[in-house]
Amino acid sequence: AHPARPGRAGCRRTGSGAARGAAMLRCGGRGAAAVLRLKAAGGRAASGGHGQQQDPGKGRGSGRPEQQPLEPSLLSFLVCPLSKRPLRYEEATNELINEELGIAYPIIDGIPNMIPEAARMIQKKPPAEDSKQA
Amino acid sequence: MAAAAALWPWRAVLGRRGGALRALCGSVRGLAAGTQTHFGFQTVTEEERREKINQVFESVAKKYDVMNDSMTLGIHRVWKDILVHKMNPSPGTLLLDVAGGTGDIAFRFINYVRSARERQLQRKLRHHQNLSWQEISESYQEEQFKPLGDSQVVVCDINKEMLKVGKQKAQYLGYSEGLSWVLGNAEELPFDDDKFDVYTIAFGIRNVTRIDLALQEAYRVLKPGGRFLCLEFSHVSNPIISRLYDLYSFQVIPVLGEVIAGDWKSYQYLVESIRRFPPQEEFKAMIEDAGFFKVDYQNLNLGIVAIHSGFKL
Repeated sequence: AHPARPGRAGCRRTGSGAARGAAMLRCGGRGAAAVLRLKAAGGRAASGGHGQQQDPGKGRGSGRPEQQPLEPSLLSFLVCPLSKRPLRYEEATNELINEELGIAYPIIDGIPNMIPEAARMIQKKPPAEDSKQA
Repeated sequence: MAAAAALWPWRAVLGRRGGALRALCGSVRGLAAGTQTHFGFQTVTEEERREKINQVFESVAKKYDVMNDSMTLGIHRVWKDILVHKMNPSPGTLLLDVAGGTGDIAFRFINYVRSARERQLQRKLRHHQNLSWQEISESYQEEQFKPLGDSQVVVCDINKEMLKVGKQKAQYLGYSEGLSWVLGNAEELPFDDDKFDVYTIAFGIRNVTRIDLALQEAYRVLKPGGRFLCLEFSHVSNPIISRLYDLYSFQVIPVLGEVIAGDWKSYQYLVESIRRFPPQEEFKAMIEDAGFFKVDYQNLNLGIVAIHSGFKL
């Protein structure tokens, strides 16, 4: 229910008056669907498209929280707290990756989690293998 | 547990009068460099302390603002206003608000630079009386793109719940531009060196386990010429006020915590942590140790709260 909660809050603001009832029904279904989609790796792109349909009038920074991309300005500030080196934004998994140390910091609800304990280790693949697979 | 909690107020009152307990507190504080440190008046390891504080803020996050208003009778708003006025940010300032969870300082900062920017633009227009229509329309467009004048605030907090509450508040109040949220540890900031113009930490530094590390990180991320501002509960020297303050803190606040937030222990921790925090001069010395210059403090409400300020030169 955790990811669904911010979604519902977002929907409450989109609708107004009569549209709100319909919006909430839509959001309820979308919330459940979003939970399922979040579990899949490539879910972000699909949910992102859907989100745009729901909030046509909203500007940047006030879309649905799960699809909220990281603010580009923030990316220029953020570095790895351990090594203080720049990070790479990985769109597929919505994480900030420190290549050198092989760790990835998750971005939850548009908020990057820069606590080292929360970062996950990524398997370092040698570059030759990567190009063969691609 | 309630009986033990009831004992603490008396130990606190005795401690202020007797030097023995204070000496013990001092030695415990010295041990903080090792693994033993304090959580309110208890002695715990650093790991335990971090976990306990995490739980405290997770549990109070939703009622944080309500509790602040009821405990301080709304005066905390004035304190925060004074902090931002002291900061006097000009448009284009980059602020890092650490432990800024629910966004109080960040929102005040945005309001301040927004009005400063409006005044700036009005002054510019007034001076340019002989503009062509095209130039005038261009200046209005500029206003649309830059109502904050490139000012930005990054709110960094270690607790997810507090950030969530802050983000919801921002959406509810309509703050979106120039505001970012990061989950990070004040002792290990995820920011590059020499980045920010101002670093603020309001009512947060006493919850940091290694204050010296947090101050060092603050020094690191500030630009040369940057300002460090810390708003925190501090020590009251006047004995009468101090007695009344202790009475209020230990008898009223935990009760309010129980009644409003359903959480006696968290607010017991809060008042104990205020007593454990070093007094004004000692904290000033800690800030100077981190490398800041022109370190000074301003007492608000007779020392109940103090604003410490330092510069990175």
